[in-house]
Amino acid sequence: MVRKKGYPEALEKKLRDQRYYREDSNPEFLPKVKAISRTIAHMCFQCGTCTGSCPSAPRSTYRIRQFMRRAVLGLENEALTDPDLWLCTTCYSCTDRCPRDIAPTDVIMAMRNLAFKRDIIPVNFLKTVQAIYSSGHGVPNNDVNRAARERLGLTRDPPTTHMYPEYIKGIQTILNHYNLKANADRIVKEREG
Amino acid sequence: MMAEKKKAGSKKMEAKKETPKQAAPVPKKAPATAAPASGKKEQTRIGVFICHCGTNIAGSMNIEAVQEYAKTIPNVGYVDNYKYMCSMPGQAVINKAIKDNKLTGVVVAACSPRLHEPTFRTATKEGGLNPFRFEMANIREQNSWVHMHDQEGSTEKAKDAIRIAVAKASLLQDLFPKAVPVEHAAMVVGAGVAGMQAALDLAAAGIKTYLIESQPSIGGRMSQLDKTFPTLDCSQCILTPKMVDVGRAANIELMTYSEVDAVEGYIGNFDVTIRKKARGVLSMPEAEAKGMVGGGCNGCGDCEAPCPVIKPNEFEVGMKPRKAIYISHPQVVPLLYTIDFDSCIKCGLCVTACGEKKAIDLEAKDEFVKVKVGTAILATGYDMFPVEKKTEWGYKKFENVISSLEFERLICASGPTSGHIIRPSDGETPKRVAFVLCAGSRDNTGNGKPYCSRFCCMYSLKHAHQIYEKIPGVQSYLFYMDIRSFGKMYEEFYYRIQDEGAKFIRGRVANILEDPATKNLHVYTDDTLLNRPVDMEVDLVVLAAAVQPKEDTDRTRKLFGVSCSMDGWLLEAHPKLNPCGTTTAGVFLAGVCQGPKDIPDTVASAEGAASAASIPIHMGEVELEPYFATCIEEKCAGCGMCVNLCPYSALALVEKEGRQVMEVTEAKCKGCGTCGGFCPGGAIWMNHFATPQIVAQIDAFLLGGEQ
Repeated sequence: MVRKKGYPEALEKKLRDQRYYREDSNPEFLPKVKAISRTIAHMCFQCGTCTGSCPSAPRSTYRIRQFMRRAVLGLENEALTDPDLWLCTTCYSCTDRCPRDIAPTDVIMAMRNLAFKRDIIPVNFLKTVQAIYSSGHGVPNNDVNRAARERLGLTRDPPTTHMYPEYIKGIQTILNHYNLKANADRIVKEREG
Repeated sequence: MMAEKKKAGSKKMEAKKETPKQAAPVPKKAPATAAPASGKKEQTRIGVFICHCGTNIAGSMNIEAVQEYAKTIPNVGYVDNYKYMCSMPGQAVINKAIKDNKLTGVVVAACSPRLHEPTFRTATKEGGLNPFRFEMANIREQNSWVHMHDQEGSTEKAKDAIRIAVAKASLLQDLFPKAVPVEHAAMVVGAGVAGMQAALDLAAAGIKTYLIESQPSIGGRMSQLDKTFPTLDCSQCILTPKMVDVGRAANIELMTYSEVDAVEGYIGNFDVTIRKKARGVLSMPEAEAKGMVGGGCNGCGDCEAPCPVIKPNEFEVGMKPRKAIYISHPQVVPLLYTIDFDSCIKCGLCVTACGEKKAIDLEAKDEFVKVKVGTAILATGYDMFPVEKKTEWGYKKFENVISSLEFERLICASGPTSGHIIRPSDGETPKRVAFVLCAGSRDNTGNGKPYCSRFCCMYSLKHAHQIYEKIPGVQSYLFYMDIRSFGKMYEEFYYRIQDEGAKFIRGRVANILEDPATKNLHVYTDDTLLNRPVDMEVDLVVLAAAVQPKEDTDRTRKLFGVSCSMDGWLLEAHPKLNPCGTTTAGVFLAGVCQGPKDIPDTVASAEGAASAASIPIHMGEVELEPYFATCIEEKCAGCGMCVNLCPYSALALVEKEGRQVMEVTEAKCKGCGTCGGFCPGGAIWMNHFATPQIVAQIDAFLLGGEQ
């Protein structure tokens, strides 16, 4: 809806945000989230135990309860385009304590899956994909770690793909099966050139 | 038998007419079972009446087609339909049809028999038939409502249901309910406010009432509370007069420190065995009965001082000590000391202190007393949910996290701190107090209670008021999901507490952590209305813990044959229309044992239960449904297998004409059919659910409309 009076853009946005029923409310969104997350997302009664438990909430604008609300109301665009979606640490504290026995963490994971289908994903997540593809690790070993491991009497590299690089191929096969690497490369290229 | 019938084909109708006479050799000694049409060859004529129930039934099936079909069913002598069969004109249709068509049985195809069986039995009786010549075909709950969008299917199913009902109605016999006398006495189990109120009402109605309490004193949970919402009456002040009345009422026989041990019998005649736990102290009347005139406990307390054993006082939630010989608080009724034999070392110092009164007997043993009552009320109450199970709130881990019941004792003038609310860690007066609501309630995790405990919102408001009253400059924070202030003057109370300065934070508490240096607590939640996480530092946390049925409830309910719902609360006969009754005739429920209730609701429910329990007693006799088993003595081999199978101890072997046969105590028999189904000789006849009647129903279903 175009406003004729010419409000400043920030005010325009604020007024738009305050409309309760948004045009992007999608009745298919909640069933999709439930199917992927395999949790009873529709049963949230907004008690706030999740946000209260969340280690991310006091340090960021991430509000897990708000995402649960968006799921219940089917506010697909609002949920998937909110960059906060990617601030969950997946610690599962909320899932542990939710009195309705919902797994809010899994709801977030479902939303991330749906967002990725629309290429909505921060580049750092994609770089993790690339790191796993090349080394088998999201956070590959480095020299500081290697020195620490030696001090503790451990092998310089852990008994993973670092020690057995021949298994990286298997990981790559899995990632290729889902086109994850190709998609990651494509999006990173689009964003960073 | 069925296979034969299938082959018999056209013979079936004749066979059916024969069946009542063949298969129902009426036991000689059964006045309730009259012989079916003693010898006369009256033709079976069943009337079928189809109800529309407005559009409830008629909207989902073709009534016309069902009616046309019913006319073709064997033995049917009359068919009619009406918009509301249960209405007066509807019943008049039945009444007239019975007389005009000389009907021998009635089938009404309508709703569930649980709803209108009594109505149509009466209509059948008014038409001149025995009321048990009536059978109901449920074509609403089990048909039109569940097959709302399948007109054809529901029509066919209704035809089946009517055919089956007609098959049974053709074989029904006249039955005559038996009346049994009702003992002019009642029992109330549990002497909290519910049990006390029920007992007082029964006693006032002139009924001898046995009031059984497992604790040494009556009073229950309410006697532990400081004040009551929303009126802020002192709980003890309004309760103790009732306690004294109970102790004084001539019609009440109070049995404290006692438990129900066994229950036998049925409405009107319950034989209850009560275990009087060894108390070790004789009351004055008991001492007198033993010939010690002037002896017995007068409550002087001389015994208490020398007792060397110190234990936590359960009444004070363990926050105050008591001795092994004790009274739990000054207002106990009866004023009688009790020895806790689990901790008594039998040193005998108390016996010396008691001296001439000779009230103490260290060798006391449990005693069993048998009483007979007509009706019983269960008022077994509740326990607090062990809220330490929710580890995130740190109860029993952090000293300054207390439960609401502990708060009640701390704020109570007769409590361990004489009414000073303090931090358990250092005895300091808290300046910031957090109240955590729904602590274990409304919790579907399995580690908590899925229901609302119903009175925690209100008592937490009251707690907030009490700290404002007692601590200048204090700040309270109520962490809540919803404030449920549903009762009379409750919402006004909520308004008042907010006006007094209480801060309401809408968010369920996620977790609580302790600052190890100061022992202050950090309460974490989401202020859902601000959409902002909260880390609130407070001096004291009070958990409004959920409630759950009293530990011993399950044992007690089984003795009385009462069911419970999934969460353990005792099950009422109907949640709306019979909330005090149970499915066991003569047993009623009062107070929280049926589900969480505040004090006004508890007292109301107790008065309801007392009223319901007094009705059979005042009537003097009760009619039992004549559905009991009867023994066909010629067929009985006296094997006695049925005797042990009977869940109601209604059967026994007796000697008759020189041999053993089974005999049924009709008043005890519930007609469950366990014996009848088992009897290898087919010697047990289940009235109204007899084998030929049931076989006819099965045949009618399996053979379909084919003849």
